[in-house]
Amino acid sequence: MRGLNELKKVYDWFEMRIGFEKPVKEAAMHPVPKNTASWWYVFGSAAFTLLMLQVFTGILLALVYVPSAGQAWQSLNFLNHNLPLGWYIRAVHGWGSNFMVAVVLIHMAQVFLFGAYKYPRELTWMVGVLLLLLTLGMAFTGQVMRFDQDAYWGLGIGAMITSRMPFIGGQLVHLLLGGPIIGGATLSHFFALHVFIIPAALLGLAGLHVWMVLRLGINEWPMPGRAVKRETYLEEYHKLTHEDGVPFVPVALWKDIVFSSGIILAVLVCAAIFGPHGPTGMPNPTYIHTDPKPDFFFLWIYTSLAFLPPWMETPLLIIGPPIVILALLGFPLLASEGEKSWHRRPVAVLVVMILAVGWGALTDLGTYTPWSPHMDAWSSDTIAPKQVEAMSPLERQGAVVFQDKQCRNCHQVDGHGGMRGPALDDVATTLTRDQLIRQVLQGGGNMPAYGKNLSPAEVDALVDYLETLHKTGQKPAVDEATQWTNQAAKTLPAPPVPPIGNAGNAMTEQQLQAEQSAPMQTPAKAPASATTTQAQTKTQAKTHHAVAMNMAPGA
Amino acid sequence: MTEETNMQSEHSGNLEHAHEQPGGMTKAEISRRWLLMKIGIAFNGIVGLALAVPIVGYLLGPAKKDSYYKSWVSLGDIEKYPVGTTRLATYVNPWRSPTDGQTDDIACWVRRTGQQQFTVFAINCAHLGCPVRWFPQSQLFMCPCHGGVYYANGTVAAGPPPRGLFKYKNQIVNGELQIFAGQMPTLSNTAKLVTTIGPCKGDSPCAG
Amino acid sequence: MRIRPLVAVTCALAISMLSGCKSLPGYPGPAWQPPQDQMNFHALYKTNCAACHGATGQDGTAVPLANPEYLALVDDATLRKVISDGMPGTMMPAFAENDGGTLTDKQVDAIIAGMRKAWSQPNPFGGMTPPAYAQPATGGNPQQGRQDYITYCESCHESAHDSVTNPTYLALVSDQTLRTIIIAGRPDLKQPDWRNDQAGHPLTDQEVTDIVSYLGSLRVASPGQPYPSHP
Repeated sequence: MRGLNELKKVYDWFEMRIGFEKPVKEAAMHPVPKNTASWWYVFGSAAFTLLMLQVFTGILLALVYVPSAGQAWQSLNFLNHNLPLGWYIRAVHGWGSNFMVAVVLIHMAQVFLFGAYKYPRELTWMVGVLLLLLTLGMAFTGQVMRFDQDAYWGLGIGAMITSRMPFIGGQLVHLLLGGPIIGGATLSHFFALHVFIIPAALLGLAGLHVWMVLRLGINEWPMPGRAVKRETYLEEYHKLTHEDGVPFVPVALWKDIVFSSGIILAVLVCAAIFGPHGPTGMPNPTYIHTDPKPDFFFLWIYTSLAFLPPWMETPLLIIGPPIVILALLGFPLLASEGEKSWHRRPVAVLVVMILAVGWGALTDLGTYTPWSPHMDAWSSDTIAPKQVEAMSPLERQGAVVFQDKQCRNCHQVDGHGGMRGPALDDVATTLTRDQLIRQVLQGGGNMPAYGKNLSPAEVDALVDYLETLHKTGQKPAVDEATQWTNQAAKTLPAPPVPPIGNAGNAMTEQQLQAEQSAPMQTPAKAPASATTTQAQTKTQAKTHHAVAMNMAPGA
Repeated sequence: MTEETNMQSEHSGNLEHAHEQPGGMTKAEISRRWLLMKIGIAFNGIVGLALAVPIVGYLLGPAKKDSYYKSWVSLGDIEKYPVGTTRLATYVNPWRSPTDGQTDDIACWVRRTGQQQFTVFAINCAHLGCPVRWFPQSQLFMCPCHGGVYYANGTVAAGPPPRGLFKYKNQIVNGELQIFAGQMPTLSNTAKLVTTIGPCKGDSPCAG
Repeated sequence: MRIRPLVAVTCALAISMLSGCKSLPGYPGPAWQPPQDQMNFHALYKTNCAACHGATGQDGTAVPLANPEYLALVDDATLRKVISDGMPGTMMPAFAENDGGTLTDKQVDAIIAGMRKAWSQPNPFGGMTPPAYAQPATGGNPQQGRQDYITYCESCHESAHDSVTNPTYLALVSDQTLRTIIIAGRPDLKQPDWRNDQAGHPLTDQEVTDIVSYLGSLRVASPGQPYPSHP
């Protein structure tokens, strides 16, 4: 007992000088609406806990990390391999970052759907938007701290986007990079941002955010029909908390505490199982055999940049972000009154759903980048032995042409190869021989024209190979003229019609077989592939016509 | 700037305070106090300006004209590049800082079309700057990021690039190939003079 | 009683912590190495060769490398030259760095050594001496070659599908490739080597030379024109 008394004395000595007891007690015991003690209200505190974890692990990493372009990569590898558990702290910091971005986004969606941004909490929302931007800023600058090939070329992408700014783009690039190229000053710039500037702003604004939550009270559970009115809201809220409220501690807080520690445990487990991210290759720009990719939460931007039409890119990149940020900041001012419940706000629910689905789709595409050529596919992806066995010597050479000319970098066969162009597993059933030749020579539909780079023999062999690409039982596409010619050849015994192409004997036989089994075969179907353009379809029509003109007199 | 605004808000705060409790002070006292206060603010403003000028100058330091960073760099003996081929070459960026490490080593593609005819392409894709790779078999440059493809002469073959590959100005001095380089080529320091899709024309300022 | 397992777990944790938890699944793999430091044959083969020569050195569209007879037929110098500088008259590209490729000389040597180690077999020719590897520039007799072709080859290559006399095909392969295949065969496709084209009669060096020069004589000026009758 005497010990406790002594302790109390020491406590009182400090309390008399600091005076925290009263405000802390008030903050802890302030009444909150009963139904806000819900699992839906735990994300904000979890985000703050994660921020603390990031600050702490970040300081630990800064004990060893060297923010110099010449040594950052080496110091990361030292952390990974030479320092006991250095890899684990890196992993916790990296996974903490992923979790933090995710939790902040979930928190934002929840606040939006619960109408918590309405009067009088508009400013709390705006500060929250800034916090989101700062969190994303931390994620991006953190990716630069991992100074590897991804970071290097990611900075290049950032510089190229900045350079699209009219008039001052060039100067802005110099300011962003701290010089004319990505180098020592660039890493130092981003280090200062990641370690001093953004964290300071983040902590300051997070404090303000929490202060405002305490000052204005936690948003009550939205009830359909209970609309927010400027004149009456404060009074209503006061009634709600004081007549039907519960003290924040412990009724609401215990869920926050449990969820926060659960999130930290999830970070720790992820770090132990999946480990740290990278570093990938050394940031030496002469190693060009690289496939740079941004971190998970920026994949959607990477995807968008692949799909935007070129004329739209610059305006969207320059004007888009400010508009989105202004809209996010400004809309609570426009919708500060009215219904809070999602039951009465279908548009809001729809917006969240569309954004979530769109983001998910873009991110998913970003994980396997179907628009990127596979740079090594031409020399590493094989053709199934069964197919090779069934091929003629010429078709085998055609397959070599297919590999050698890097067709495979953009076209899948057997599920291997690039996905930039359509997979060619049944190309023989969608394009006739003439259409194949035209497509190879003239390109089109986002395919380069190979005309100058292939000899006639190579084209012939390649198309022979492509015509073997159809599922068993399916017949290759044949244009009407050839079909008609073949029929004529069958019904009129003499004289034989000259075959199309001097090496087309095998092909003509196939067609004859096709004729026998399916005399009314439909003409070439329009290809259902993504790259097919209208122009191509037109050309197909022309080719049909031309071939018909060519062949009609012969028969 | 911020300092001054802070001062102003403090100032107005004090003013409110003065208005609320004017009791016990004579008018002369108030105006004398306020004179001293104003002098203090003005002094802070001057010092703030004296501090701000070097800070802004320091921060804007790297924003130089392109020509500041560029100079002629050698890519070595022209015989390293056989006629009719496109080869990877590397050089050390002429503008460098002591902490650059290996980021000073820059790669580029050298295409030799005749005894004295060279075209030197930047490694950076004109779309978003990723490193393009040359495939001699298909005579194409391909970009690993968003699928930009260029023909051997640098014109766009497919994909999103808004223009052809960036080119460095080059010259041959004493049997050595030299390029005018020094900065990362981007759309703003090269493309503004090239409006059509295609290679940069003639000797117009190109990459680097 | 309850404390014992706790102590054990704590000790295990402490020990694994002190050792850096290297047994955890998240422990990072080896640090990145520059691509030119890659010396593992299988990795190099997979990235650079597998597409045409097959995943296992056979069943590919180009000449199989996992053919002991082929490996015994060519010497290291020839292989090095072919890999480094490519094979003229065929689509085999040059892989050496100084020839526009990506491989260093050491990596080329690693590939050659790896091929021999993985796929060579003792006494691949069964004690017989095969015809020389290199096709001589002169000395072939196309007329005689035609006779030999009809005797030894045509029974399998008669149909249009199996034709090797097609000028388009011949435009894409070199004489040397034809010779290599005639001598070493394509065991992966069950196609015979020089000993088994006709049972009991291994082709002589001169016969192989003649057949190759016959096939060479069938090449035309502009092969592969899709409409030869409509110039």
